[in-house]
Amino acid sequence: MSTPTRSSVPAATSESAVAPAFLSSAWRIYDLSLGQMLWSRRTVFMAFVVGGPVVVAVILRLLVTMDLVSGRGMVDGRPIIVDGPIIFGLMIWGFYLRLSVPLLGVFYGTALMADEVEDKTITYLFTRPVSRGAVLFGKYLAYLASTGLVVLPSVMLVFFLVVPLLGGDIGSNFPSLVTDLALLTVGLAVYGALFALIGAWFKRPLLTGLVFIFGWEPIVVVVPGYMKRLTVSYYLQGLVPHAMPQEGLVSTILSILQANEVLPSAAVSVIGLGLILVVGLGLATWLVERREYVLEQ
Amino acid sequence: MSVPVVAADRVSKWYGQVIGLNDITVDVRPGVTGLLGPNGAGKSTFLKLITGQLKPSKGTIRVLGEPIWGNPGLYRRLGFCPEQDSFYERMTGLQWVTALVRLNGLSDTAATEAARQALDTVGLLDAADKKIGAYSKGMRQRVKLAQAVVHDPDVLVLDEPLAGMDPIARRKVIRLIKGWGREGKSVLVSSHILHEIESMTSTILLINNGRILAEGNIHQIRDLIDEHPHTVKIRADDPRRLAHAFIEHDGVRSLTFEEGAVVVETGKPDAFYGQLTQIAASGELGEVHEVSSPDDDLQAVFEYLVK
Repeated sequence: MSTPTRSSVPAATSESAVAPAFLSSAWRIYDLSLGQMLWSRRTVFMAFVVGGPVVVAVILRLLVTMDLVSGRGMVDGRPIIVDGPIIFGLMIWGFYLRLSVPLLGVFYGTALMADEVEDKTITYLFTRPVSRGAVLFGKYLAYLASTGLVVLPSVMLVFFLVVPLLGGDIGSNFPSLVTDLALLTVGLAVYGALFALIGAWFKRPLLTGLVFIFGWEPIVVVVPGYMKRLTVSYYLQGLVPHAMPQEGLVSTILSILQANEVLPSAAVSVIGLGLILVVGLGLATWLVERREYVLEQ
Repeated sequence: MSVPVVAADRVSKWYGQVIGLNDITVDVRPGVTGLLGPNGAGKSTFLKLITGQLKPSKGTIRVLGEPIWGNPGLYRRLGFCPEQDSFYERMTGLQWVTALVRLNGLSDTAATEAARQALDTVGLLDAADKKIGAYSKGMRQRVKLAQAVVHDPDVLVLDEPLAGMDPIARRKVIRLIKGWGREGKSVLVSSHILHEIESMTSTILLINNGRILAEGNIHQIRDLIDEHPHTVKIRADDPRRLAHAFIEHDGVRSLTFEEGAVVVETGKPDAFYGQLTQIAASGELGEVHEVSSPDDDLQAVFEYLVK
């Protein structure tokens, strides 16, 4: 039989009452989560999403090498020349900004906490002296790093495979690559923050997120009026022309897609995206701090 | 300032329409305290409230004099070993414990050193560099204990820490828990097996149907327990040889076989567990993999107590 050796214990000290530093805690969570995220079951999905454009680029390169694609054609009786940079611009718009980035955002952003809850490992993080908000923010940083580490190299591969085709020049187009990489990073950050909020708020966040990117955004963006301001892609669109060729087929296609709608200026786009990022992450943090996570027995 | 380790004041917890805990008022004092109750009694809910994972629907919970919900700083002084068998399976035991104790603010070097010490304490240092996914059930239980004690907390909350362990590991962990109690830590340990709790402490909280039925000295209910047969399931290499050895034990009332296991009903659980540990340690009758006790017998005792 053991006998208690103390009749009481000291009350919690002021040291224990002080919340640990938010950023320092978030950084340690990031460190712990990055490897888990990179080697999670979603990695296969991520590889598929960002591997697709690379495969397309390789096929395109083979076709051009074998002289099966010329890049010349006629539209409305006018000769059109499509070169490597134009194709790259189209791929950035079609494959990455409209598909890969929102998809990665929705699959990873909504799962920032859900994965730990599903795996029942959240207990280990929530019983350490770090705030729950720091857990969310650290995992958000890990999401940004892990998706960035896969998406950005994929874009660079596509750039070097596609841009030199059909008379394109890597050197003169390199600045646009840098802009595109920055734009994609912003896209990942903003979609991630928005879907982190949806993940913290909704019971079925994945479904809600998919409806948002495949239902709400594509429809609202082409409908005249103010509703499009409630999308991420509207503000990203405002930054795209700076990253893409200003003349040629791409600008023609964009002008058709944009249907006389005035795009937001770069400043409005940056402010809009910044607001979504800050409000999304702030609200997600606030919700996670207050929410109970009841694990399935 | 002297305060109870845990003070629950009229605490209730509902999960929708289901009541997890019902109007519990209890003070947990320093030392080792056993939380005893059958599965579904509310033990895990109570421990989750104490560790701030859940918020009371009604009432207040204070740990070391402070509310625990939304108070992460308090986890510097609290260690928790959860019941669930969940890990980052791809990490080694050392990586995992190190990563968790880094969240307490330790530097990389200090965290690694603390993790090594904790793994050594639970007897896992040799397996520190093995992936957790390759650990046996007993090793997984011990690595969970290591993460709970790695930051040297004042208060330890252990949810069914002996579940699934073999008899030798079980004896080691019981010794550890008693040792932590002697060192001055406050340990609250849950189990649905009276014998386990009794081997660690004489101070118990009896919980059933979300209510604390009794608190105090274990001997007061011990006599009641002894009137009821105790069921033990032993998974082993050779259950039939084990059964043959058990037949000679005068407390054994019945023996039945399941796949790879023998289920023993005994009226003298203390003596039986003693014999079982000796057999497992000698290895003469093959390896004993796992010992578990269905809580039917304990349920019967609780039904008896609440009559």
